[in-house]
Amino acid sequence: MREARIPTEELMGSGHLACQGCGATIAMRFALKALGRETILVIPACCWAVIDGTFPHSAVDIPIFHTAFETAAVTASGVKAGLEMRGDFETTVVAWAGDGGTFDIGLQALSGTAERNDDIIYVCYDNEAYMNTGIQRSSSTPVGSWTTTTPVTNYKKRPKKNMVDIMAAHAIPYIATASVAYPEDLIRKFKKAKAIKGTKYIQVLAPCPTGWKLSPELSIWAARKAVTSKVYPMLEITENGNKLTVWKDFEPTSFKEYIKPQGRFRHLKENEIEEIAKGVESSWQRLLAREKMLASIPGLDT
Amino acid sequence: MSKQIKFESYREMPIRPMTLDNMLWNETGSWRNVKPVYDNKVSPCILGCPAGENIQHYIQLVIDKKYKEAWETIIESNPMPAATGRVCSHPCMGKCTRGDYDEAVNINAIESALGDMGLDNPGWMRESEKAKKKKVAVIGSGPAGLSAAFYLARGGYSVTLYESEKALGGVLRWGIPEYRLPNCVLDRVIESILNSGPISVKAETVVGKDIKLKELEDSFDAVFIGVGLMESRKLGIPNEDCEGVESGLEYLKRVNSGDNLDSSKKTVVIGGGNTAMDVARSALRKGSDVTVVYRRTQAEMPAIASEIEEAEKEGVNFRFLAAPKEIVAEGGKLSKVIFQEMELGEPDESGRRRPVPLEGKTFTMEVGRLFTAIGEKADLDGFVPEIDTEWDLIKVSGEFGETNSKNIFAGGDIVTGAASVVEAVAAGRKAAEKIIRIFIGEADPPKQEETEFGIENINVDYFTKSNRTLKPRISVEEAKNGFEEIFRGFDEQLLQKEVDRCFSCGVCNYCDNCWVYCPDAAIVRKDDRYEIDYDYCKGCLVCVEECPRSALSIEEEGK
Repeated sequence: MREARIPTEELMGSGHLACQGCGATIAMRFALKALGRETILVIPACCWAVIDGTFPHSAVDIPIFHTAFETAAVTASGVKAGLEMRGDFETTVVAWAGDGGTFDIGLQALSGTAERNDDIIYVCYDNEAYMNTGIQRSSSTPVGSWTTTTPVTNYKKRPKKNMVDIMAAHAIPYIATASVAYPEDLIRKFKKAKAIKGTKYIQVLAPCPTGWKLSPELSIWAARKAVTSKVYPMLEITENGNKLTVWKDFEPTSFKEYIKPQGRFRHLKENEIEEIAKGVESSWQRLLAREKMLASIPGLDT
Repeated sequence: MSKQIKFESYREMPIRPMTLDNMLWNETGSWRNVKPVYDNKVSPCILGCPAGENIQHYIQLVIDKKYKEAWETIIESNPMPAATGRVCSHPCMGKCTRGDYDEAVNINAIESALGDMGLDNPGWMRESEKAKKKKVAVIGSGPAGLSAAFYLARGGYSVTLYESEKALGGVLRWGIPEYRLPNCVLDRVIESILNSGPISVKAETVVGKDIKLKELEDSFDAVFIGVGLMESRKLGIPNEDCEGVESGLEYLKRVNSGDNLDSSKKTVVIGGGNTAMDVARSALRKGSDVTVVYRRTQAEMPAIASEIEEAEKEGVNFRFLAAPKEIVAEGGKLSKVIFQEMELGEPDESGRRRPVPLEGKTFTMEVGRLFTAIGEKADLDGFVPEIDTEWDLIKVSGEFGETNSKNIFAGGDIVTGAASVVEAVAAGRKAAEKIIRIFIGEADPPKQEETEFGIENINVDYFTKSNRTLKPRISVEEAKNGFEEIFRGFDEQLLQKEVDRCFSCGVCNYCDNCWVYCPDAAIVRKDDRYEIDYDYCKGCLVCVEECPRSALSIEEEGK
């Protein structure tokens, strides 16, 4: 056997209640491998509130604090404050919420936590809809997508909310996007976040085969193609929002290839696909332009 | 599940609900309707190698820097990687899946690097098995004979190796010029084989003349014939026997023995195979102006493509679609050759287009020396009528070289007609293994299953395109002025660079992907393998999809 590519410690065990091919469980598995045992999770209403298991059992070998939908960030702030009051400055507190609990319902609490720069890692595992409650649209749902509340006759017409920009506007010390298809990169980002004091925001693309109407074995494939088709850029924002780093070292693939096996996009006609693909490209170009622009301002990244 | 906590009073109870146990009671394996299974295939390179070298395996061992184990893996099926790594036509590389992605892995160069390491580390060769009573005669010390002798001796059987020439090696010594396979390398290869077990050599002994086949049959428990093809085919045109016309093979033999030859004349080589290339390039090195005349076009030439390319670079001229019609001799000496121009007709049984003479179109060339290299034939004098023959070759009945005579086996070119070194090595080993199985009364092993494997079985997302690493070489200018070896072996850095390109088709190489991506943490990483915990595997098949090399297969549940 060769040396293991990622840490071998398993803090997320088998027997959990996730669907076949669930991206959110893969995200959790990698994240806990990066963060280690000295970690407390705060989980609001989301898939993971269910995946974890039935009381009094838990698939995760570290403490989880289950909380209300809108309160993940602020509860994590409270847990951190409580630990510090007891003299524990070491334990990492992680708010672990879905995109509904981040982009929509938990946004206010998250904004408050970020503004105070409370010392937590906020993780949004992004599966692009309210999957747990039955695939309703969230403001993270991408344009063109079907959900049960955006049926094919009236599919989602508005683009995905740019949550990363919202977080960047809070000037917090670390923001990153990650994908479950790139474990080494994801683990590196979590380790980096753990070492930084303040509010850290990591948004992990976690495909949902059930909600995306995708064959479960293609879960990682989709998480990879989302990145290589520029739909889901891998980026890091550091220096309190002043430095943007976009990962560009990949072989680009087409948007059409990415959406093809996903039933949630099956209703789209050729011209609609082209239109959306153009939007993907312009977002990408805007991102690159911003990266360049920020880098060109002297003294900004210090 | 059964854990109970007793509290003496409500004050001892936690203020919040607390987790008591993990979720392992919930055996989610029951959700599954299909299941992944580890299922290694046979890599195409291995199927492409006539000797069946476990190429995939030794490349992976090289990645782990287990050079001795890698070398041992080759030696299981080929005792002379230092030689084949230099001269093999490498059909394995034609099958390499990477060829359909960017460029085939340079297996040939990897083999020769390992072969050279083996020569540099004589201690790597394990001792032969405990000496047995049975003994075997091996006739011919070319690749087939050496290979047969090696595997017999390794098994503890004493071998007597008969060779008509003074020096061993057969076609490796006399048929391949030093710039491809230096004598000093060949000598070490032969030495390593002779040292591997109880082999005694009877050189300058011609079976049929100095000793009869019948005598060998009586005094040995088995005989292996691997004499190759020693005679050049004749052109069958007038004046072929005049001075200045010579068989290419004879010429190569003289060059390889160090004869100093007069080369000031215009030289023409007839033929399009490897011998023709070897003759042409040797004559060029001796200072001749050389033209190869071939009756078809370059596309139909049987020579290894890179050999043709090198010949062209060095300045060998080619004249295609022409065949010698008549040799004009003056005073018993060659002066001119009249050539018939040809065109390509319908494909023949070999699939190549047949050359057809163009009526009335001939040309004449002033020629100082003419070498024939249109193929070789067998000298069967020592073996008939005892051994059955067919098409002037020895007839064998099975894949292990069984002849009509019970204890006599044959292999290599004498059975197949002109083929390759590696095929001769394979034939020698197969016959040796068969002889051993007969001695100990063991059944033949089952045939290796052939699985279809192509680029569609590779998850190319996990690879990036790269060019094949080439062997370092001396310049064409340096090369054509002498017989120095042209291509040099890989150093460790180049070797590591090239082995890294191997897809490891169909065979798990512990890349961790299945274990890394399992959403159910149901794959267990053991010391020497992965295991799927079917109590928890939900059958999502992410592991199968993400395996870069199709080392997992799918089984349906309930079947």
